[in-house]
Amino acid sequence: MTLTHPKAPSMATLACLQSALSTLRTTHHAVPAITHITRRKASHQAQGRANGAKDGAGKRLGAKKTGGEYVVPGNILFRQRGTHWFPGDNCFMGRDHTIHAGSPGYVRYYQDPARHPKRKFIGIVFEKTQSLPQPTHAARRRQLGMLAYQMPTPPQPEIATDETSAAPTKVSDGTTVSIRNSKMNPGGLQLTLGPGYQYRQSNYEIGRSGDKKEAAANAKGKTIRAFAKFKPGDRFAAWRKSVVRVARSRERKVMGRGGKGGAKKKN
Amino acid sequence: MTLQRASRPVAQCIRQSSSTLHARTLATTTIEPSSTDAAPPPPSDPFSHTRNPFTASTPAAEKQLAQQKQRPVGSRRRRAALSSTTQIPFTQLPYQAFQEARAFLQEDRREKLEAIGLQRVKLVRLQDQVVVGEQDGEVERRKQREKDNRVRSMGRRLEEMKVMADINDPMVKKKFEDGQGDMTKPIYRHLADAQWRSYKRQILVQRLTQMNVIPDVLPALEPIVSTGLAFPTTSSTTPARSRLKRVQHGDFVSSTLSSQPPTLWIQPYNKGTRLCTVAVVNPDVPNVEKDGFDHRCHFLAVNIPISPINTRVRLGELGSTSENKGDVLLPWLPAYAQKGAPYQRMSIIVLEQPSPTLTPILTTLLGAVAESQELDAESASQDPRYNVRDGFNLRSFVDRYGLKAVGADLFRTKWDEGTAGVMQQAGIVGWDVEFRRKRVEPLPYQRKASERYR
Repeated sequence: MTLTHPKAPSMATLACLQSALSTLRTTHHAVPAITHITRRKASHQAQGRANGAKDGAGKRLGAKKTGGEYVVPGNILFRQRGTHWFPGDNCFMGRDHTIHAGSPGYVRYYQDPARHPKRKFIGIVFEKTQSLPQPTHAARRRQLGMLAYQMPTPPQPEIATDETSAAPTKVSDGTTVSIRNSKMNPGGLQLTLGPGYQYRQSNYEIGRSGDKKEAAANAKGKTIRAFAKFKPGDRFAAWRKSVVRVARSRERKVMGRGGKGGAKKKN
Repeated sequence: MTLQRASRPVAQCIRQSSSTLHARTLATTTIEPSSTDAAPPPPSDPFSHTRNPFTASTPAAEKQLAQQKQRPVGSRRRRAALSSTTQIPFTQLPYQAFQEARAFLQEDRREKLEAIGLQRVKLVRLQDQVVVGEQDGEVERRKQREKDNRVRSMGRRLEEMKVMADINDPMVKKKFEDGQGDMTKPIYRHLADAQWRSYKRQILVQRLTQMNVIPDVLPALEPIVSTGLAFPTTSSTTPARSRLKRVQHGDFVSSTLSSQPPTLWIQPYNKGTRLCTVAVVNPDVPNVEKDGFDHRCHFLAVNIPISPINTRVRLGELGSTSENKGDVLLPWLPAYAQKGAPYQRMSIIVLEQPSPTLTPILTTLLGAVAESQELDAESASQDPRYNVRDGFNLRSFVDRYGLKAVGADLFRTKWDEGTAGVMQQAGIVGWDVEFRRKRVEPLPYQRKASERYR
């Protein structure tokens, strides 16, 4: 009798056995299909980063008008981040480095080593036959882009006579009004119309008014000072001055800032 | 012993001062030594009650000076120093290192003067040499060219040596900084040129290139002479006395101011008198038919003599007085820009007239100065290309008469309140014309059906 190695049961046999036993089973656990072998994912990193930079939607940058195309002022010629291209003749750059056409004409992409050895420019020429860069030392090509009209209301020309000054006149917007001898202006002040439609003295006049009054009083032999001029060494005058000052401050404290303050303090 | 040794330089200095007080020290000018060593004025008499503006340095003294209605002279440090030191002229200050340095510089100057003498002799000998050629003309011409080159470079070296001899003199530097430099001397011309080139010339070239005067009016321009511009203003109170308002390069000038012909100062930095042409060109005259810009000449004058000491040119009085020599081909036209038109650049170009066939360098070295050729004003005024203002081509004018652009100035003009009046007074047509931008048709684009995509 030969010894036979015990063979593993075949898949068919196992399937029959499984179906036979399934009827006896009380619970129905999910049994994985024996035919499908489970597979694990290779690594965790392939799933992506939590805090990494994500690629956004495309911003449609690049050229919007090709070389030779006819454009009008304002047309966008090139959208870019930074200045891959610089604005050349008759072009301007917006706040996000977008290059716009500045005048009607045909687009030209060019380099101008005289202007900058490495930069690339986008410019506009007025005729299809012209090219950029313009020849060095030649008068520039310029377009007026305007029309002449008769003025609807021609200005009244002030013919400069000998009386009126040909000098650059100081533009003073303030009209001077001196309302003298009136109840509103007893001091006879020079009031000018300032910004905000206010008739007022100018600040330097206000600042100098004290000096002016003192000078006027001095001319009459008087003074507007509350106290006489300080004489170093005169202790009697200094004592008199301090007595007056102390009395005044005490009175002010008693009165308070307003009527209410005084009343409150008393209570 | 040490005291004697220490006092020897001081004694030497004082001895020297007595002997050299009236001798020329380092300065090459012929101004008296009293003004050369500008000794500060003596301090005030102790018994006088007036304060000296040169020596008042304390607050009380300055206040008293203000009450005297006088202004202090110099900085407070200078006034304090003057009040505390004795009256010794600068060159005689008894400091050993200073006097040693002065002696060293004087010795150096003596050597340089000898070298200048030798160079002069060499130059004369070289000029006396006669060029002889063997073959028909080729060798002779080459030798003549080589000789001219050698003479030119030797002349340049001689001018450099003249400047080097005086450049270390502190009194020369002081005099130049005080504005008392004599422009007939090469050292003061050199210092003035260096000062101009360090800042003001850079500003001028910046204005000319940034405002595109250089490619539009002339292909290239390297300023060699400095320019200044001022317009006369007539004050209403004193019409007889007119004051001048200075204009910086590129400034906007009001139309009432620029209606009068200005005063132009042209300062050359090489010696000799030369004849110049002044042209004022406006390259921004709007032309609606051509949809572009034209040139207009606002002023043209020739044969104006300019030298380092005679620099003022009154454009309104050229040819009329003996002081202002020159031939006016096109008198002053006020600068104006019509309403709505962009600002207009008024470029003032100074052109040097060519000198005759004899090379000017040779004659300048020998002392005489080559005269520039006088331009025939009569024939120029009859030439139909150059006697009209509109369409004046400065490039063609320069080529025709062989002129060289040596200097430029620039001011700008735009429409203001006085322009209409100025144009009417000058009889210019178009004072009531205004310019408005041409409407450009937008490019066609596909319009969508819905109102939302307007």
